[in-house]
Parts: sequence; C-alpha cells; structure tokens
Amino acid sequence: MEKKEILNSMKIAIPHSLLYYYYFPLWDTFFKELGFEVVDTGPTTKEILDKGAKAAVSDICAPIKIFTGHVIEGLKVADYVFVPRFARIKKPEYFCPKFMGLPDIIEGTVEESKGRVISPIINEKNNENISSLRVYEIVAEMFGFSHREIRLAIKRAEEVFERFKKLMYGGLSCEKALESYKTGRWEEDLEKIKKDGDVTIAVLGYVYDVYDSFISMDVIKKLEALNVNIKTFEMIPQKVAYDNLKHYRKRLFWTFSNRVLGAGLHYLKDPTVDGIIHVTAFGCGPDAIVGRFLQYESDIAGKPFTTLRVDEHTGEGHMVTRIEAFVDMLRRKKWAKVSEVLQK
Amino acid sequence: MKVSFPYMGSAIVYKKLFEFLEHEVIMPPKPSQRTMDLGVKYSPEFACIPLKMVMGTYLEAIEKGAKVLVTSGGHGPCRAGFYGDTHRNILKSLGYDDVEIIIFDAPQDNWRAFFRNVQKIRNGVPWHKVINRMYTLYRFVQKLDELEKMVQKIRPYEVNKGQTTQIWNQIQEKFDKIKTRKQLYKVYEECKQMLLNIPTREVDEKDRIKVGIVGEIYVVMESSINFGIEEILGNLGVEVERSLYLFEWINDNLVPWILRPKRFKEIIKKGQRYIKILIGGHAVETVGHIIDFKERGFDGIVHLMPFACLPELVTQSLIPKISKEVDIPILSLPIDEQTGKANMLTRIEAFVDLLRNRKRGKTKEVFIDNIQEHVQEERVVMV
Ligand code: SF4
Ligand code: SF4
Repeated sequence: MEKKEILNSMKIAIPHSLLYYYYFPLWDTFFKELGFEVVDTGPTTKEILDKGAKAAVSDICAPIKIFTGHVIEGLKVADYVFVPRFARIKKPEYFCPKFMGLPDIIEGTVEESKGRVISPIINEKNNENISSLRVYEIVAEMFGFSHREIRLAIKRAEEVFERFKKLMYGGLSCEKALESYKTGRWEEDLEKIKKDGDVTIAVLGYVYDVYDSFISMDVIKKLEALNVNIKTFEMIPQKVAYDNLKHYRKRLFWTFSNRVLGAGLHYLKDPTVDGIIHVTAFGCGPDAIVGRFLQYESDIAGKPFTTLRVDEHTGEGHMVTRIEAFVDMLRRKKWAKVSEVLQK
Repeated sequence: MKVSFPYMGSAIVYKKLFEFLEHEVIMPPKPSQRTMDLGVKYSPEFACIPLKMVMGTYLEAIEKGAKVLVTSGGHGPCRAGFYGDTHRNILKSLGYDDVEIIIFDAPQDNWRAFFRNVQKIRNGVPWHKVINRMYTLYRFVQKLDELEKMVQKIRPYEVNKGQTTQIWNQIQEKFDKIKTRKQLYKVYEECKQMLLNIPTREVDEKDRIKVGIVGEIYVVMESSINFGIEEILGNLGVEVERSLYLFEWINDNLVPWILRPKRFKEIIKKGQRYIKILIGGHAVETVGHIIDFKERGFDGIVHLMPFACLPELVTQSLIPKISKEVDIPILSLPIDEQTGKANMLTRIEAFVDLLRNRKRGKTKEVFIDNIQEHVQEERVVMV
C-alpha cells in the first residue's frame, strides 16, 4: 500500500477542548494534508465531563478535567490523540504550567493513552502560528514523513490559519469563525455579524472557557438572545493587545492571559463597549491575577464589570438571572445617559 | 533601615543576613493563626496560600515597625513571580505608602535592577566586609542544616519524649547569637555534642521507617503551615528528610548553572522521566526527589502542596503512576486555610501504619488515595 493509503485508514482525534477552539483549522488542515483522517471529539457533553472528572485529580481546574474527558473519548474512536505541549509562543512568556505538563498529566491519569498520543513541544520564540518545522518533527518521526512533506503541509495549514484569524479580526467570535471554516462559508459569514443590539458587551476569557458550553453555559448565545452585541479578545490582533499593556512594569507570564488583559484594556477605551464580563473557570490560577487587574482597570475607567466564575456544578438558572440583571443595568445606564443628553 | 522579610523555615538565617549588613532587623513573628487570618483577609481569594501567609507576615512585621520588606521575585511561569507586585499593590491600597518592598528578581532578567537592589541592601558596608560576612553566612546555613538533619534522625528514637525538639530550640537560640566564623565552628561542635548526648533506643535497621518530604517550597520549609509534619512523623517513630534545605537551595539556585552541584542536575534528570520539561515551581524537582528517595531506600513519601498549586497539580496527576512504577507509597496533602489539623493527623497516622505493614511484608499496597476534603460550594459568583 501507498503511505497515503495506510494513513487514510489512520485516525487522529483532536480533543474538542483547550486550544482546539483557536488552532483547530491549523491542525485539521495539517493532518489532512498528510493524509490522516481527523476526528473531532465534538462539543463537551455531560458524559465527557464526568469521565474526565473521574480520571483527573479532584482539585484541578475544570478545563483540564474536560480535556481529559475528550482524550478518553478520542481514544475510543481514533488510533491516536493529539495532545500538544504548549510551552510558549512568545518570548519571554510561557503558558500556564498545566499546559506545559499536559501530556504528562494525561500520561498519569489516562492509562489507555500509552503510546497513543502525539505530543509535539511548542516552544517558539515569537510565532503565534506555531508553524515551524521543529514543532511537527515528531510527526515525521512517528509516521515516517520526509521533512519536505511536513513543510508543505505546514505551509498549507498556515495559510488556512491566517485566513481564519482574519475572520476573527473582522469581528467573528472564535466559535463562529470555526463554524465558517467547517462549513466552508468563510468570509460570507462576516456579513452576518450582529450589530443591531442596543448594548455591547466585551466577553473576555480563554477560548476554552468562553466557548465550552459546560463552562460558560453558552453565555454568548444567551447574551445575543438578549439583543446584545458581543466583542471578544480574539477580535483584537496580538500586537494591538500588547500595545495596551505597555504601561505595566512587568507583563504577566502567560501569553493568553496577556491577550485577554490587553483586549480588556482596549475595550475599556472603546466608547461603543458598555460593559465587560470576565468568564473564568473555577480553580484557574492565572485568572486570580488577570481578574484582579481587569476589575481594577474597569473601576478606573468607570465601566461596569462582572465576573462569571463557573464550573461543572453550576446551576444554569442562577446564571441566566445574573446575566439578565447585568444587561438590564447596562441598558438603564445607557438610557439615563441618553435622556441626560436630550434634556440639555 | 528597619528591615523585615517573609518568614520561611530557618528564619534566623535571613535575620543574620541583615544583621551582617548592619540593618536594624525587625524579626517577623513565626506565622500563626493570626498571620493566616490577616493574610486571608487582605489577599485575593484565589491567590495561593503562600502568598496569603506572606501577606500576613508583612502586616505583622509592619506592626512591629518594619519600613522595608525584602523578598525574592521569580521569573515564572508560576504565580510566585507576582507575589511581590501583588503584595505591594495590597499594601498601597491599605495606605502603607511609607513601606518599601524590595524584590530581588533573577539577576539575568534585569541586571541593572538587581544591582540597584544590591546597593540598597548593602547599606554602605564595604565590599570586603560584605564578602567575608556572606561567606560566614554560607557556612552558618550549612552547619545549621547539618544539625537539623541530625535532629530528624534522632527524634524518632529518643527515649525522653520531646527532648530532641527542646534541644533543637536551644540550638537555634545559640546560633542566633553567633557573630563570627570562629564562634560558628565552636558553637556547632557544642551543639552537635548536645544532640549526640540525647539518649536513644536501639532500633533494628529493618524496623526503621524513613519518609521523604517533597513539594512546593513554602509548605515544605515552613512548619507552621504544614502542622509541623516533621515533628509529627518523628514522634510517630519515623525518620524524615526534606527535599529542600536552605543550604542546598542556595547552591542550586544562587550559583551559576555550570557550578551547580551534580546532585541537583541528577534530580532534574530523574524528574524528567515523568515531566519532560521544566514547568515552573518545583514540580520536576518534586518528582526527581521522589525517585531519588526511593533509590536511597526510603519507605514512603509525603507530598505537600498548596491547594490548587498549578505545577504541583501536574505532579499530583502523576502520583498514582509514579507510586506504582517506582513502588513507593506516596501521601499527597493539599494545604489551605481550611485544612484541619485533626484530619491531617489521621491521614498521616494511617499512612505510617501502611508503611510499617509494608515493611513487615504484610501488604503490597502502594498508594493512598486523596480524600476529597473540600465541600461543594455555590459555584456561580458574580461580583
Ligand atoms: S490557565 Fe487556568 S483554566 Fe487554563 S489550564 Fe491553567 S489553571 Fe486551568
Ligand atoms: S508554585 Fe504553586 S504556590 Fe507557588 S506560585 Fe505557583 S501555584 Fe502558587
């Protein structure tokens, strides 16, 4: 058999969790170019969550439990699972220690994973596209590809990723841009962005918190149903986010935390944004700091700010009430301002 | 300058450091329930317990008159690198504008800032004196650590309960008064003799139980937060050794990489069998030490971690696997402000029982599972 044919029958599962939301188009294209079949483990379900929570240590944050569940799921349907080790994509910052030890965590908690994980080390000086050959060399080693084949696949993947990022900068949330990629509608969807809501809220948080229906309980969809326009950190290019951090003595250690914070500062200055919601998972270490900074800066800017901290035990009704109250407050504030102007 | 510092482990060493630099030293009190309460009250809720404890210590030191607080920074990727900044922030918002925090980040991160700090701390003491006294301090730490290791080996076998701890306290008082290197060596010999004079029971080699203590630095080094685990184990007849001693920490962290002891590099290498890259905190060292303790014939490991500590959660995830593959029982204890002493004690006692039974060949069990202690709370918080 041709190598391509062998690989065609080889399935790689990409866990629908953590940085999946940001990098799926890149990885999907890469593996498909090489001839693998890619399996997406799908949105988090109660079952996946339960399995993950059972395997993981009890005090670890919800996103890692969820990821563990997806790995278990992936191992059922595919030959390999993809568990990248994110060390850094920007010097001198790093990722949260749990990202850096992710494959080790999986090895320790999911027995079936032995010999069946693909774990490239992502250790880039400054490369958000994580597209250097070095990263994927392990794939060449494991499956016998030539460097040329890998390089071509990366190049193709990078083009797709750049296009995907443009969608987000154009105003699509990460989740919607992913959908555009999957359906192949691409730029068409940019026209459908909702802009007619009467309030605008920046929903800030890591992609795996904001878009995981179990962690944020689809906060974005719920807000949109309340006729709210949404802004997220992905819509801000890395450079712009970092420019907003210039006045800090010392940046945070974690790249995505910096981007969330930088985007937050950006939106605080944006007059069209009426309020900010910080979505964070229970037990997140870095967010203990990010949240404090965001709160502090919002106070100074005089913009309403609220934290949504949820995990697997949260009641949905409770959350809806809170969101509605927040949106109502923003509306009232806005109308008060309008009538003030009218009265002058 | 009225100088103070975080209290951790052998705090007399830090006191000596500032005395040698001719500062007026405000000795922070040993952390107590009050320290914890203060720290918890004024720190962000989701900060790590060491951050909260140090916050409490600072407030107590300021009460006693401290005007300058000296601490180390860190360069990530863990939260420890932000302790100093967070503390400074909190002190400011509490209105302590006249209190200065000097943070020593790793020199390679910013040489200029580092030397500025050194100049401030040096306090005008001439360099030759500084160097001479720092060398004395270096030896001071070494000797003190040697004595502490002896204490940990003698305590389990003492005939008169509590005597070793009593003598250890006397030793620390004696060390506190030392001014010169000559005195140091003299006092050291005296103290050593005091320890050797403690009457002990003869215990057969096969009945001796040895436990290694590993984990995050603050909870490993500071007995007030780990409930004096070394003493508890000692009183249960168990010899203990920690993964961390100040002297070794200095050698491992403050001397350039190429000059670092081979032992340290070996530990890292052993740790990388399970955690492939350095991920911050002491995770890789924790694993390395577990393997090292096993190879040196220890019977069990106690793993101490602040509740929800990021790197130690990675370690904790690997513990069942390591425990099985390396064949050593490991007790992992998360610590936070709600951890109860009684509960801790029960678990430690059960663990020691397991080790005894194993040693006598009665069981092959290696792993005690973590008991979930934290009650479920209301999990939506909007503030
Ligand atoms: S950044 Fe927070 S939520 Fe993400 S893995 Fe780390 S601790 Fe968990
Ligand atoms: S190592 Fe643990 S205790 Fe220390 S800063 Fe990191 S999370 Fe906190």
